[in-house]
Amino acid sequence: MLLDVLQGAEPGGFILIQDTVKCTGRGILKCFINAALKRGEDVHVLGFEASETEVCAGLDRSCVQKLHFHKGFPDPLGWMCRSSFTVDQLTSQHITKLIKDSQHAKAPVLVIDSLSLVLRHHDPVVISQRLQVLRKGGDIKTIISLLHSDLHLHGVVGIVSQLASTVISVAPANNEHHAVATTTRRSKSGKVMQEEEYFNVSEDMTLSVQAKLRQHGHVQKEQKVAEADPASNLTFNLRLSEEERKAKEKLALPFVFSKEKKSALLRPTPGSGRIMYEPDANDDFDEEDPDDDLDV
Amino acid sequence: MAAPVRCMAGSSSRSNTTSFQKKTRSKLVSIPGTRPSVRSSSRSNTTSFQKKTRSKLVSIPGTRPSVQNGQLLLSSGVSSLDYVIGGGLAVGTLLLVEEDRYDSYSRMLLKYFLAEGVVCGHELFLASARDHPDEIMQELPSPIMDEVASLKISEGQPQPSDPENPDTMKIAWRYQNQPRVQTALASSLRFGHYYDVSKTMEPELRQTAKCHSFYQLQETPVTTGSSPLPSPYHALLKSIQTVIRKEGFDGSTPQSKTRNVLRLGLHSLGSALWGDDVCCKDNPAHCHALSTFLYALRGLLRTSLSVAMVTVPSHLIQNRAVMGRIIRLSDTAIALESFRGSEKETNPLYKDYHGLLHVRQLPHLNCLSCEGPDTKDLAFKLKRKQFTIERLHLPPDLSETVSRVSKTELAAGCGTTATGNKHLDF
Amino acid sequence: MFPELNNILNSTPDSFKSSDFILVSDRQADASFLIHHYLSFYLRAGCKVCFLGLVQSFSHYSAVGQRLGVSLAQAREKGQLVFLEGLKDSIGAILQEESSQGTQHLSYLRSPGAGLKGLFRFVESSVRQNGDHDDGESWGPPVLLIDDLSVLLSLGVTVGAILDFTLYCQATMCTELQGNMVILVRCEEEDADDDEEGANLLQRGLVHQCNLALHVEGLPTGYCRDIHGQMQVWWRQSGETMYNPRKTFHFKVHDKGASFFARGTSSAVL
Repeated sequence: MLLDVLQGAEPGGFILIQDTVKCTGRGILKCFINAALKRGEDVHVLGFEASETEVCAGLDRSCVQKLHFHKGFPDPLGWMCRSSFTVDQLTSQHITKLIKDSQHAKAPVLVIDSLSLVLRHHDPVVISQRLQVLRKGGDIKTIISLLHSDLHLHGVVGIVSQLASTVISVAPANNEHHAVATTTRRSKSGKVMQEEEYFNVSEDMTLSVQAKLRQHGHVQKEQKVAEADPASNLTFNLRLSEEERKAKEKLALPFVFSKEKKSALLRPTPGSGRIMYEPDANDDFDEEDPDDDLDV
Repeated sequence: MAAPVRCMAGSSSRSNTTSFQKKTRSKLVSIPGTRPSVRSSSRSNTTSFQKKTRSKLVSIPGTRPSVQNGQLLLSSGVSSLDYVIGGGLAVGTLLLVEEDRYDSYSRMLLKYFLAEGVVCGHELFLASARDHPDEIMQELPSPIMDEVASLKISEGQPQPSDPENPDTMKIAWRYQNQPRVQTALASSLRFGHYYDVSKTMEPELRQTAKCHSFYQLQETPVTTGSSPLPSPYHALLKSIQTVIRKEGFDGSTPQSKTRNVLRLGLHSLGSALWGDDVCCKDNPAHCHALSTFLYALRGLLRTSLSVAMVTVPSHLIQNRAVMGRIIRLSDTAIALESFRGSEKETNPLYKDYHGLLHVRQLPHLNCLSCEGPDTKDLAFKLKRKQFTIERLHLPPDLSETVSRVSKTELAAGCGTTATGNKHLDF
Repeated sequence: MFPELNNILNSTPDSFKSSDFILVSDRQADASFLIHHYLSFYLRAGCKVCFLGLVQSFSHYSAVGQRLGVSLAQAREKGQLVFLEGLKDSIGAILQEESSQGTQHLSYLRSPGAGLKGLFRFVESSVRQNGDHDDGESWGPPVLLIDDLSVLLSLGVTVGAILDFTLYCQATMCTELQGNMVILVRCEEEDADDDEEGANLLQRGLVHQCNLALHVEGLPTGYCRDIHGQMQVWWRQSGETMYNPRKTFHFKVHDKGASFFARGTSSAVL
């Protein structure tokens, strides 16, 4: 499902990528940017936490001119008065103006990196309202945002997640080269789909989904390392040679019957005693009180 | 006047310290890995962590240099406590004592601290909110003077053995260099004194020491404007700073007076009587008041020749994080847990002791590391003539039935408390 | 500096990674020995060092530095080291004396809600002014060392303000000036519902931003005289790769340095 979300962003959607200290979500964010660029869409990135070089590293060179990076990073709060975009400017008027300034044919994609810095400085309620206005405004096709879920109160993460149409949480997997993404997608009708997948981000920011996580047994199989053979390095021989193995399998075990004998035993023989029982008045079983004769 | 008594106490302590310093001076040279600094400390008089040159060592009574890093140490009044915290209290540091439930033993430690200051001739500063400082001063235990006197007498006698190396053994000379096995945790170099708790200190002796006091209930509340510190702490800090400046402990006054050390005793900071609600509320209004005060106090101590002992009623503080911050802001931190009133009082394992002593933190000052104690399972007992701190020994199990006592209660944490599973069952 | 730690981290004073943000944290242990390591490391490498010493006096670092082979007093005189003595300067600010009104960098003491903008300006100005060596060369890339950042929480500064401050420092020091940053944070005990304001939240926020995290803790089995604790090294490359290796070592601090060894190979055990 992760790949579907990556490929077809429906209009008016809000995709939230949640990460923690243990596994960073910036890789998936860059995959989303790359996919949007490849589809020919314009992408506006509000970069607060990472520099432009870091965000643009690895993205598809040919489409980079469709990427508009608004430099929040060196000065997101305006302390040095040389930033082009500060945290306070995340309002619908400002963003709409920004988009109109760079003329586009169709509505662009807005990427926020990251929402954690914004939430640190503004009331979560106000920010959610602003994001909703932006979504419904029609000037923006999709909003994709990164949130560090372990830096906020559970309630705040909950508010923002509720606003999102798709929430992707990343977590580390036991396997070194993959991570686990839990995607929760909520459609307009209210239907919720959820899936857990292993994924990997390659050097050129393409996402590859390795396997779907069905149940926990699958996980165990992945992490099985070749175990040392316990029968080696012993002073006595525990292994079987080929003949020995065949002889062992041929051995008839005492209470294992052949198939015919089993079916013969299972067939009901005529004339064997049958017990007929009909409960009468004295056998009044009360299901709730099986031990009614106990005087406890 | 008090002159004869003073002379005896003062000179004996001085002669004690000079004789001990002679010993340590020779030992300093022979211990590898430590060396006294050659840098002169006269350039900046403001910081106290200067390796004092030899001439300056003599001038401050009641102090001795640490054998580990040459810092100036003074005694807390309890010699076994000195041993546990690494030889003594370093000048310029803060000792934090977490009070026991009824404040009986922590108050005792404060009195030992002040009494040691009187005997050594240091200046005192005592601040309290509950009892008047004069009352606390009147309760100071009396020093055991005959021991002090007998030491002086024995100094005068000619030593029969080799005067340069009093440790030489005549018969068992093969064992000369073996380290001494220490069961009781007493330092072999006695630079502290012993006190008799059943008697109070003579008024003449007590009055020889200059004591500044600060009694919270008598202070007029001063509006502090927009200070980050609320009023009682602000006034206390101001008062301490005034004393330090006026008496020249920070080196600001000229060198005419002989240098001395200021001992600060601050009783029960953080309690409600100091105007602080950190003890009663989970989210106090001024939750940073006490920690800001301790930070400022640390700054004052580092730039002057003073030592502070602060007691805090930690069993009342609801917020665990606050206690952690306070411990990190102090240099040495210990906690007293008395058995009185808890279920441990009747536990036969603890019948020989009055409580447990937890060492929460030890300082590494001017060095990367210092030797910690062998064990962290320490228990204390207040005897008439001594406050002993010992390794916690389990008494032999003489019962007929085998009883497996869970060691989880006894295993104290590490320096570095145990973060994982304590249920190590051997 | 500790040679064994240099081997583990693959760096020497002659060749080390630039634009590095190193976070040193501890929980119920003392990781300040790592700060002494980095201080002597970068001074030996010839970098311009800005040190915010918020919890100890200058002579403490100076005394340890002597044992590790660097002279802080000399470095300060030459202009290689800019040292902020937090303790000494703070008393005036807390007691609101008139003479201290000029110190803007300690504005967080006067009004803790204001934030750390003044402190950031101090850092910026001290690394940008590039005084010259005796022989006319300029110093190497700038380095910011902070010991320790979590004490600001005790003084009433919020976690958000501290994270903003470190973001700005990272932007200036690492991204713009290609220098390094080493910050010490002392954490509290782990708590079940740990999303409140506190040192743990601060540490998590900094781990998100850093390139290398060294976390020092006591041994999970208890106190030991010969092994002072364990140190976890977490290499976090910036952003994309999923694989961030972590390794744990045991260490023992002694008078002139610290030795690091793999778990179970302490000389006391072998």
